[in-house]
Amino acid sequence: MTPLTTHHSPLTNTLISLSKITRTFGAFTALQDVTLDLPPGRVGLLGPNGAGKSTLLKILMGLIPPSSGTGRVLDQELGGDRDASANWQLRRLIGFMPEADALVPGLTGVEYVSLAGELYGMPRREAQRRAHEVLSYLELEEARYRLVEEYSAGMKQRAKLAQALVHDPPVLFLDEPTSGLDPAGRDAMLRLVERLGTDHGKSVILSTHLLADVEAVCERVVIMAGGRVRGQGTVAELRDPRQHRFRIRVQGDGVSFRSELAKCEVKVLADNGHGEWRVAVPPGWVNLDFFRLAETQNAVIRSLVPDDETLEELFLRTVGA
Amino acid sequence: MAAQTDNLLRYRPWRGEPHGPLWASAAMARVSVRLLVRRRLLWGLFGLGLLVFFFFFYAQYLVVWITNQLSTETVRFAGIPVTVGNLTKFFDRLALNGTAHTFGNFIWYQGYVLIILLALAGSVLVGNDFFHGSLPFYLSKPIGRWHYVLGKCLAIGIFVNVLVTLPAVGLWVEAGLLYDWKTYYLDNLDLVLGILGYGLVLTVSMSLLVVATAVWVRRAVPIVMIWMGLFVFLRMLGDQLAREVDPRWRLVDLWNDLYLCGLWCLGAEHGSIRPPGQPEFWEAWAVVAAVCGACLLYLRRRVQAVEIVG
Repeated sequence: MTPLTTHHSPLTNTLISLSKITRTFGAFTALQDVTLDLPPGRVGLLGPNGAGKSTLLKILMGLIPPSSGTGRVLDQELGGDRDASANWQLRRLIGFMPEADALVPGLTGVEYVSLAGELYGMPRREAQRRAHEVLSYLELEEARYRLVEEYSAGMKQRAKLAQALVHDPPVLFLDEPTSGLDPAGRDAMLRLVERLGTDHGKSVILSTHLLADVEAVCERVVIMAGGRVRGQGTVAELRDPRQHRFRIRVQGDGVSFRSELAKCEVKVLADNGHGEWRVAVPPGWVNLDFFRLAETQNAVIRSLVPDDETLEELFLRTVGA
Repeated sequence: MAAQTDNLLRYRPWRGEPHGPLWASAAMARVSVRLLVRRRLLWGLFGLGLLVFFFFFYAQYLVVWITNQLSTETVRFAGIPVTVGNLTKFFDRLALNGTAHTFGNFIWYQGYVLIILLALAGSVLVGNDFFHGSLPFYLSKPIGRWHYVLGKCLAIGIFVNVLVTLPAVGLWVEAGLLYDWKTYYLDNLDLVLGILGYGLVLTVSMSLLVVATAVWVRRAVPIVMIWMGLFVFLRMLGDQLAREVDPRWRLVDLWNDLYLCGLWCLGAEHGSIRPPGQPEFWEAWAVVAAVCGACLLYLRRRVQAVEIVG
């Protein structure tokens, strides 16, 4: 794995560090007392509409200053107007893939990505060379000389990722990267994002509504609601372990097995109608008890797994809290 | 061979020293020019501009040639005596004698082509950025909002100068070759500075106006309609009101104001400007400055309001 180093920034153990960041727009408070401490890695930023994700991204990119609080992205202090030179420096460290189309009609793929490189401050020749490399890496090699407005939805998303990646930033901010993609395109995009993290040491902040995207790519999540951070950590840390709940798949006489389970105070919480149940067991229950009971009722247990909280459940629990 | 190909396709880190944001403006300008150059219509307008230039170029040569040939004799053509005055009367209005008015008139007429070209360029260069949502692409980069405006203005400035300033300098060089070149170049060095000054005034004012109009209405047809209002309707209105009410009404004709500013740069006498009854130079300057100021204020407000993160 390539270490997280670029010409822009020295190695650092903290990707984002925010302390009591608040942002108000007139009487409206978009962010309140946001405190975050994120190490480099792939982070999912989750939250319903109006949660403050966009405002947080703007602050992290130095597009708007926080009303109060302090923070750093890598080694760059946050604050100041968007046109302040310190914020230009900050944006050099970041590759941003916007949710909007953000293409320049009339340019070919390689010209578009090369222009992005020059806007990031790369010399022209290097930007061109790099544009070819990045487009090849993102499997747009054959479409390099086609106009970007003629690209398919998936190609447009990859072109947008290429322009974010052209200057080799240590951090990528991806705003809804799978928006408008079909399932195959979505999978391909998520694989690319994951590979950028695992193979090339890029840190990724993935802002999305799609929990499955975060689950597929991210090591950590930040859950926001109402302008506040409601939870942060690895998905495993945040999940309720629920050691008393299991998913069980049964073959054979399910009816009598189920009635025997009920006698032992095992509650069937959900039944998908195809022999798979979600059950809650009483204290003192051991897994072997399932198999003993099944044997007496002529049923076969095909699978038995702990029923940990899904990310969706975690999200709803956290946001609803 | 296979290993080499794999190596080429590998993602490689980039290490280099990044340039400042002004380079980004220059890159933006270059790409914008490339976008415009790809339009066939632009080449048609360039061709038209070239025709205007060649007309002045050869007319200037013709006037000098006729003057030299016929200064001492009178030729009879179909029984009618032809004098220098008869032959050059047609060109008198254009003042093709290498003076301030020669270049002022050239830029005035070339302005028609320029105005059409800029009306069409506005939607391609700036309108599309708003219409197709390209602005977040630019503004999420390590540049300020004014670098974006500067990049677009630079691109427009390149077209203004290629179409107007450079050919005017060409006419000045030609005028020197037609007369006594040593004396002409030395005595009229201020004219070339005046041409550059006129070009600068046009570059700044027209680029700000194009960018502001394109930011406002975005699409080509509304831009052309606003342009028509500014440069055709207001000209007719100003002309009529100037004749009947007050010469100051000509100030509503922005192209005339720019012409007056240009003639001031070229050092022309106010009394020699045609048509007679023109506003004062300072009044024209004030109008041009006010228009530029209004465009800057408008651009500041509109570009500031763009949301980069959705």
